[in-house]
Parts: sequence; C-alpha cells; structure tokens
Amino acid sequence: MVDPNKLKEIRTHKQSSIFFGVDRMPETSRLFCGSSDFKVYELDAKVEKAESQAFTGEGHTSYVTTVSLTGSTLVSGSYDGHLAWWNTEKREFIRKVKAHDKWIRMIQITPDGKTIVSVADDMLIKLWNAESGEKLNELVEHKPLTPNEYPSMLYAVTISSDGKLMATADKVGHIAVWDLAEAKKISELEAPVMYTWDPRQRRHSIGGIRSLAFSKDSKLLAAGGIGKIGNIDHLGGPSRIEVFDWQAKKRVHEISDDKFKGLVEQIEFHPSGDWFVAAGGDHSGFISIYDAKTGKVIKQAKAPMHVHGFSIIENWERIYGVGHNNVAVWTLADA
Amino acid sequence: MKILCSILGLLCVGALPSFAHADDLLPASTPINEAIDHYIRKAWADEKIQPAARITDANLIRRLTLDLAGRVPGMHETKQYVASKSPRKWTDLVDRLLASPDFVYHHSNQLDEMLLPGDYNGGGDWQEYLRAAAKENRSWDKLFREMMLGVENDDAQKTALSFVRLRGKSLDDLTNDTSVVFFGVNIGCAKCHDHPLVGDWLQDHYFGMASFFNRTYMTKKNTVAEKYDGLVKFKTTSGEEKQAAFMFLTGTTIKEPAVEKTAEQKKAEAAEVQKQMKDAKAPPAKTPGFSPRTKLVELALKAGEDQFFARNIANRIWSRFMGHGLVHPLDQLHSENPASHPELLDWLRRDLAAHNYDLKRLIRGIVLSEAYARSSEWTQKIEKPAPEHFAVATTRALTPKQYGLSMVVSTSNPDDFDKKLQAENWADERKNLENAANSLASLIEYPGEYFQIGVDEALLISNSDRIQNNYLRDSRDRLLGYIKTLKTPKEKIDAAFWAVYSRGPESEEAAAFEQYLSKRDENDDNWKQILWALIAGPELRFNY
Amino acid sequence: MRNNFCGSPEHGVSRRGFLGTAAAAGAATLGADMTALDALKSPAMAGELKRKQKNVILLWLAGGASQLETWDPKPGRPTGGPFAKIQTSAPGVEISEMLPKMSKMMGNTAIIRSLNTRVGDHGGGAALMETGRAREQGVQHPDIGAICARELGRADSQVPDYVSMYTSTEGRRKGTSGYLGSRFAPMFLAESMIPQNIRRLETITDVDHKDRAALRDLLAKRFTRSRTSSTVGSHTSAYQRVRGLMASEKLFDIEQEPAKVREMYGPRQFAEQCLIARRLVEAGTPFVKVARAWWDSHGQNFETHQELCADLDHAMSTLLTDLKDRGLLETTLVITLAEFGRTPNINPSLGRDHFANAWSMSLSGCGIKGGTFYGKTDPDGQTVVDGETKSGDVFATIFRALGIDHEKEYHIGARPIPIVDFGCKAIEEVLA
Repeated sequence: MVDPNKLKEIRTHKQSSIFFGVDRMPETSRLFCGSSDFKVYELDAKVEKAESQAFTGEGHTSYVTTVSLTGSTLVSGSYDGHLAWWNTEKREFIRKVKAHDKWIRMIQITPDGKTIVSVADDMLIKLWNAESGEKLNELVEHKPLTPNEYPSMLYAVTISSDGKLMATADKVGHIAVWDLAEAKKISELEAPVMYTWDPRQRRHSIGGIRSLAFSKDSKLLAAGGIGKIGNIDHLGGPSRIEVFDWQAKKRVHEISDDKFKGLVEQIEFHPSGDWFVAAGGDHSGFISIYDAKTGKVIKQAKAPMHVHGFSIIENWERIYGVGHNNVAVWTLADA
Repeated sequence: MKILCSILGLLCVGALPSFAHADDLLPASTPINEAIDHYIRKAWADEKIQPAARITDANLIRRLTLDLAGRVPGMHETKQYVASKSPRKWTDLVDRLLASPDFVYHHSNQLDEMLLPGDYNGGGDWQEYLRAAAKENRSWDKLFREMMLGVENDDAQKTALSFVRLRGKSLDDLTNDTSVVFFGVNIGCAKCHDHPLVGDWLQDHYFGMASFFNRTYMTKKNTVAEKYDGLVKFKTTSGEEKQAAFMFLTGTTIKEPAVEKTAEQKKAEAAEVQKQMKDAKAPPAKTPGFSPRTKLVELALKAGEDQFFARNIANRIWSRFMGHGLVHPLDQLHSENPASHPELLDWLRRDLAAHNYDLKRLIRGIVLSEAYARSSEWTQKIEKPAPEHFAVATTRALTPKQYGLSMVVSTSNPDDFDKKLQAENWADERKNLENAANSLASLIEYPGEYFQIGVDEALLISNSDRIQNNYLRDSRDRLLGYIKTLKTPKEKIDAAFWAVYSRGPESEEAAAFEQYLSKRDENDDNWKQILWALIAGPELRFNY
Repeated sequence: MRNNFCGSPEHGVSRRGFLGTAAAAGAATLGADMTALDALKSPAMAGELKRKQKNVILLWLAGGASQLETWDPKPGRPTGGPFAKIQTSAPGVEISEMLPKMSKMMGNTAIIRSLNTRVGDHGGGAALMETGRAREQGVQHPDIGAICARELGRADSQVPDYVSMYTSTEGRRKGTSGYLGSRFAPMFLAESMIPQNIRRLETITDVDHKDRAALRDLLAKRFTRSRTSSTVGSHTSAYQRVRGLMASEKLFDIEQEPAKVREMYGPRQFAEQCLIARRLVEAGTPFVKVARAWWDSHGQNFETHQELCADLDHAMSTLLTDLKDRGLLETTLVITLAEFGRTPNINPSLGRDHFANAWSMSLSGCGIKGGTFYGKTDPDGQTVVDGETKSGDVFATIFRALGIDHEKEYHIGARPIPIVDFGCKAIEEVLA
C-alpha cells in the first residue's frame, strides 16, 4: 500500500562520480545513469552492494547530464553537445549526433518513444527522430542573454503523459508551454524569483528553473528551482516550487521551503493527482512530498546526497535517486 | 657569540644600552626641565651646534595648546598670552592647560592611538576608561597592570583588558605588541629568523615572551582567561625542537612551581577550558594558581628589570613632544641603537620611576624646557642638524583629531569661542568640539613615521562641500561672519591671521592679500576665498 | 643576510651613519631617491623617459577565479568539470574554452600555472598577493599599485598615479600604500566612477578657485621656506597636483570615447572599467587596478564561471586589442591575479572552494614573452609539480617586466626593506 507518509530511505550505493540523470528499465530496478566521468552506467538498485557497470564505446567527451530510454535503447545528452545512442543489453555505444552548440541540459522522449526533445544552453529546443537521430524541428523561444547581458541557460523540458504538451524553462524563470504535435507555443509563464541577480555585492547570478512536471491530467504544471539567495556564493536559498494552472495562467502554489535549501532538480506527480515528489539539494540533499491540492508538505527527508534526478517505479513503491557520488533508494510502502 | 650579538643586537641577552651610573647623573632633585636642558645643551656644545632661536610667544602658545589641549588656541587666548608681561606666563599656561578638560581628551586620545593603533577599535567604554585615567593622572605602571591583568567582573578593569582582548586571538600580536608598546622592543623579526647564524637564544627570547601569553585565551563570552598549562615549543633554524622558558627581554627567566596534579584534576581543568571556549553561559573562568601573564607584569616592573618599561615610556612621551625619540625608532630600544642622550634618558627613567610613573609630571617638565621651545625654522647657512640633536623643532603633522579640532576652532567666531572657553561649562563645550572634529578627522590619515600627505586630502580641502559648509559658512558663529563685522580690510586681514594662524600677518602677506582684494569687486566671497587660502595652507596643518 | 636587520653595523645601519647622512633631512629617506623619473624635471631627459613610460593594468579577479576554468584546464579528469580545453593561437598553449576570445590572441600573454601561496582565506590571501609578502608585525607593506606608482610615476604628475576600481561590495579592498604613505595611496573608485572631490563646487568660479590656490601657495611658500621635511614637502606637492587632477576628470568619462570604441567594449561594467583604465594609462597613469568581484563560487562553479569568464574573456581581449592598436601594449603590462584559485575537488553544490596550493595567473604585454606558459600542476591540478611560484616571485617578475630594479630596497627609518621579499626571484621564462 503506497503512502507518502511512509517515505523512508532503504539503501544507498556509493559512487565515485556524480550522477546527473537517470532512467529506469520499465518494471525493474535497473537504472541507467549519466555521469560526471563522461560515461553512462547501469546499476541494479535492488541488489545490495551492486556495482555500477560502465557502458563501452566512443560515447561522450564531457559530463553526461541527461539520459532517457526508448525501448531497450538509451539516449544520452551531454555538455559536449552530442546526443548518443546506447544498446542497453550489450551496454555498448551505438552512435551519436552533434545536436547543440552548447551544454545539453535535458532530454525527454515522447510516450510513444518516437521523438526526442533536447534543450541546451544554445537556448534552442530541438526535436529528433528517436530511432534515426534525424532532426525534426528546432524551436526558438528562450533569450540567449539574461537581462544583465550574460549568457542564459536552458535547463528544463517536460512532456505531458498523453504526449500532447511540452514545457520548457530557462535560467531567468521564463516558461513556455507548447503544443507538441504542432510545435507551437500555446502559453507563457514567468517565475522570476527562481533567478537571483546580485547587482551590488557579487555582481553575477545564480538559480534558474531546473525542473518541470505536468500533472497526469496535464492541468497543472510545476516548476522547480531555488528562491532568492542572499549570498550567491552558495546555494543558500529555499528550495522552491511554483505550481501553475497553466491554462488560466495562474499560479496556484508557491512553495518556498526553508527547511531544505537548494535546487529542486526533479518533480514527479502521482497518477492520482493528489501529491507530487520533488528532490534536489545544496551541499546535502532532500526529498519532499507535497500535497498537490494545498501545496503543503506531506513528508520530507534529508537525502544522503544532493539529488540530481530520480525515477519512480510503476507501482510507486520505490523511488530511485541519483546524485553526488551516490544512488539512494526510498520506499513509499512498508519495507 | 660576540658576532651574533652585533648582528642580532636587538635581543642580545643582557645587552641593554650602557646605563649611566646613578652617581654620574644630575641630582634627582633637579627640576625636569633643567635636567633636560643641561643634557641637551651639553650635547650641543660637544657637537658645536648653534641651535635654532627660541620661538615667539605666539608660536609657543600655539605649540603648547596643540600639544597639551589637542587644538589651536583661540584668537583672544593667543593675544592675551602674547600681551602678558608676567614672568611666569609660560609656566602658568602649561599648568592651566594641564588642568583643563582639553588635556584629558588629548592625552587620552594619544594613549588610545599608542595602545590600540590602526584598525583596533576599543569603543566608547575604552575611551571613557582612558579619559578617566587621564583625568586622575593614573600612574603608568598602574595602567599597565590594569591593561594586562584586569579582572573581567569589574567594569572598568574589564575595559582595561581591551588591550589584551582585541589581540586575544593572536599570540604573535599579543607578544609583539606588548613588547613594542610597553618595552620599546620589536621582537617580531626574532620569531622566524632564517639566517644560518641565528642563535637559539634569539628565538628563545621571542618564544620566551610568547610563553607569558601562550595560556591566554578568549572565552566564548569574549572574556580574557588563562589556561592551567601549556608551554611554547618551537623549532630552531637547525630544526631542533625546543621548549621555551618563561623568559623576559632581559634574559631573566622564571620557573613554574611544580604542582602534582592527578589525571582527574588535569582532565577537569581541560574540561573547564573547553567549556569556557564553547559555552557562552559558562560561569566566570577561574584563575589558575600560576598565571604567566601576572608573572610577566611582576617581572617587568621589578627593580632592576624595569629598565625596558621605564625607558620605553619616557622615550615615547619625549618623542610625542619633541617629534623624535631619544631612542629612535621608538621600538628599537637595544644596545646597537643607543640613545642620542643616554644620560638624559637614564635621568628621566630614574625620575619617572621615583615619582610613581607620573606622566603628567614628565610632560610638564618637557614642555617647560628650553629644548622644547626651539624654533622649527632653520635659517643658518650650515646644514640643518639631524633631529636627534633637538636643535631645531620638528615640524609635526597634526593628528586627524588635532586637525579637525583646529579647523573648527580657527574658523569659529573668535568672540564666541572665547566666551565658551571662559564659561564654567567649558568641559561640555569641549566634548561637543571633540565630536564636531570627527567630521573632518574621520577623513584624514593618522600620521605615522615618514608620513606623506596624499592628494586625496588636498582634493578634499579644495573641493568638498563640507569644508565650505562647516568652516567657511557665512554665519554669525563663524569666522567669516565675524570678519564681516570688522571695518577696514586691514582689521579683517589681521583677524583672519590671528584666528587661523595664531599670529599677525607679515607685511608681504598683508600686501599680497590687499592686492588680491584690490583686483576684485567688493564681495563677501572674497573673504571666503581668503579664509580658504589660510585654512588650506600648511601652517594650519602642522604643529611647528 | 639582508633580512637580519636588527640594528647591527654589519648591515650598514649603524645609527650614527644612518641618521647622520641619509636621514639628515629629517624623514627624507623615502623621498631621497624619488626614482629616476624625477629626472623628468630635467627637460633633456624628460622626452626619453616619457617615451618609455611604463604602465600596469591589474585585473583583480576578487574572490578567487578558478584556474581550471581559465588558465589551467584539466578536462577528462575527475576534477576537470565539464568544460573542454582549446588550443590557442600560441602553439602548445591550451586554455579553457571559457576564454574563446583570449585563445585567439595569446601571442602577448604568458601564463603562470604554478602558484603555491598557501594562504586560503580571502583577507589573508588578498593581503599576500597585493603586497607580495606575508603580513609582518609592525610594518605596513605597500601594495603592488603603490610600489608601481612610486617607481613608475612622476613626482609632479598631473594625472592620478594609482587608481583602484572596486564596485561590488563583497570583499571590497581599497589597496594600501603602507609605509610609502598616502602620496602613493590609490584614488579609490567604488560606487561612482567619478573620483571624490575632483569636481569644482558650483558655488565657486574657476577663476576664484585658481586665484585662491595662488594665494594659498604664497602662504605655503613662506611657511616651507625654512622648514624642510618630506612630510611638509608632501603637503606642497599634494596641493600642486589638485588643479591637474581636476583637469583629468574627463579621463574617467567613457562618454568621451567614440561610439565605435564604446561598442567594442560593450555594455558590461567590467569592460567599461577596463576602458577607463585604458584612458588613464594612455594619459600617463602608471597603475590602474580594475577589480571584478566576486568569483567565490562555492556553489554552482560552472554556472558562475560561464558568466564571469564571459566578462573576463571579453574585457581582457578587448583591452589587449585596444592597447595593441594604440601602440600601448608594448609599455603596458596587463595582469590577471586574485587572492587564490579554487579547489580541483568539486563539492556537492557543484562548487569549488578556496585553494591556494596550485593556481594560475597571467601576464600580458610590456616585458613579457607572450605565447608561453610556466610551471605545471599534476594531472588533477592538486599540486604544483614544476616551477613552484610564490607571491614574491610574482612581484619580482612583474618588476623585471617593467624595468624596475627588483633588488632595490626601501628604508623605513634604519631598516632596509627589499621591494621583493627574501628568497624570491623573477621567472625568466616569461620575460621578454
């Protein structure tokens, strides 16, 4: 019986590198992770003391920041601007394409497995044929410079469960909602608090929207990041989530959580629509579950590391988180 | 060893300056000013130096008022002094100034700058403490005791401890600053001499002095406390590890009495110190049976060991009024740097120690000497004698406070100022002046040795609206307003000079000013510009 | 041997000897050798020396820029971060791709990759790197700007000889002239780029301002006629410089530049301040410090460096190009320096922390052998493995590049203080 109040850490797997992104073979605990040592790894998280297995082949030449599965093929995106395809059974590199001029921050694959969406710091949104790697479309929306004339960053993309909608969000808190089939922008939202520009003390910026998620009925769109920071040397601001009724262009919840500071790196809605999970961190990490109706905390816990991403098993009994030198497993049911 | 001594003379054991024997000195009953003049004159004769002339009365009252009251005299104050025919007028002026609230402010400001220079900020309580001490003329050895050993549960003594407290987190600062300020010895370079010839004893001395402070620590409450144990270990340049003794600068060591302590006792003591360091709510720290800091004070003031303590303060006070130490630099009191007038320094040391370290008495003696009253102008054809001869007065930059006060006083309506000075509540007025002076003082640099005035100051005086608004304001309470009430240009020029420069104009000056005026339409602004030219001149900026 | 001054005759500082001669004119010791450039008062030499006027622009990367994201990239190592390295215009010299514009013009720049300065707190590190030596009891050492102002400036200069800009408030430091005195203290610009008190008040006309100064000078002349000391002299020269400095106000006004130059430098503050620096240097200011704060990226190091390196890359490359186009780079040394670098280890906030054991700086232009690098760190950048460089070595190298005698000594009273700390030497490999 899944109950958010039963949130509890049950296992960790220490790693020597930083895992930035994760996807999971359906109905299993086999995790695929993108790493700071430029590799992708597989790890079976339910096995005690499991060793992570590196994929072989050419691969990437920088941080692998995002991974996503289509069938048994894994696709990864990296700071090196490439998308790479991997055979998960043989744990082998297949091929790669130069996809962006700058850091690929996130990719998502449509529910039908046919299309990959990638977002990168060249501020472009690109659509790809998931099988052939052929570019299908390129969307220009996010501004390349911040209002203070510095390079901006395009961190987050999400696709709705029915595959009809897409949302993208950048460093200064600008969010665009798209009709994916038409490749057309249908709404815009702003979350400027996620971006802190310090004009006086330190004269640079920090923050940005790092995560996006639609509710299962696609009515709500949640954006995660960090609130205003006094000392931008550190991630010392409240973790922050803004939940929008995006059609009404109305912000329904503004969650500014001082108990756990840092970036909200990923958000996932429970199919019931009643609650959602968020995780992230600063020097340490957190996992929090919020009531989608009230925006109030249901349950939260300190994570054993800054969490960069997580994957929730289909029956919602387990959450597999990856992050700074660690992989953690939480349960939402009786252990 | 001899070679070592001469290279590293600073800390040579027993290498105190060759002291004159008491028998050779002038009798102890000689008035201070006479003793000074005796020794200074003797050196002039020996060196065949013809000193600069005696200063004018106007110059003398300005110098004395700056030195004892921290400000320039008011116009009437100066004129009255110059006009006086009394044979005792110099002495009377000195005694009036020494008894005035002005002296309390100025003397305590000077002590503050010596004890907590630069970025150290003792705060209002500290200044109040020094003022109280200056007011009752508390003896220097007593002040030293209070500053080193004050107890934390007494408000005044707690404040006195600021000397230690503000340095409490740095053993090096405590060690070196105490040596410099109270003993005239800068031992900083003895800490890590990397010369192959550095003798162990040299570091022995640095670390010996450090041993007296090694147990001093700051509690969580920011109070000063002492640990129960702890010895200084150091590595010699040859890499040998040594344990320092409790060694004073004279080479004298003291032994810590052996006390048997059980393991439990030691543990409890360590736990108490830990608690003091971590817990802001800990009860007041206990005093250990053996207190190295107390031992240092006892040793430094002990007859025979007090040479450094007494010479240092005599030399520092001398330098304050004469612009140059008998031993110079002031922190180089060692055998390789003898006093210019060793007998005089020794006589002053003896006198000071015999009179309860009464600084006011010493100050009075110095400023009544003929040596003090030399002109700062050198007009002889031969090269100006070096400052150590005290044959010509040093032109000394004012401290920020002196400059701020002098700016306020010299541009005040002279009648107003005189009334305030004569009034019973002068002490209150003086306090107000002290605050008013800060407006400028806070922007002026403190003159250290080899002080250079920067262009920032010249730009400030030239172009800041606060100079215009505060000092050159055309209002009744300012000098500009006063000058407007006078009739002839001559009267006005006269008043401007007497008020700002404490003297009348010379004919070339008066002529230049008249010429300046003649080229312009009659306009109140002309007088504003004239006053600016006066206050921006070096004559207001220096004590000469 | 030199560092053992404790008043001994062996060091030529016997009290009589010293005070009897060098300091005969009171505190004239410092003023006594007001550098070769005082010879400018002799018109014959003035032309020759003026032609060789050397200048410094110090780009101070306050808070500590990461060497791994600038001059000493370690891509592919656990400590390397995501960024790649790029081959520069100088064969064999690779720098972080965070500096693409600089990579195309490394011909005038030398990198030092082997700083090991050990002091890892902001205040202590900054004091060390500003003065080239550890803090010392009882001595206020001057910083590099004050020393250069004294060595390269003219006694009667009509432009400021040490300007220091530091706009951000974090870690703000003015700089200090220490024992050299306020004659060499920086003209400090923080909030406004117009120096304080440089403008004539509206309540006084220019004629009145000039005439009253002449009146003041007359009074001063009488006062100083028979009172000579370097302190009194400094008062005179400070006032003599007032009118000239007031005339230099327009140097701080970049509106005076043609639109094309403004565009080249762009709208960001750091580059605009570099443009002011270029204007000052062109007018003869020997030392300008432009601080860019605050690089202290304990969190989000890579995001922070994407902003700040963009600033550095653009400002520095534009400045070097501009100086070169005007024929000024040959006589202007451009330095990038900070209090320390950043840890190779990447912390959980994807930040890098303070690190003084193996970090980098750069020297460009005057006296520098460009297109080179000196020193080496281990593959992860944790330690210096070749050419360990101390702060004093940096100072010796800078002085040599500028033609300043790096073995000269100042005297504070009887005590000789070498301008470069003991046991330090110039790095010949980066000198032209």
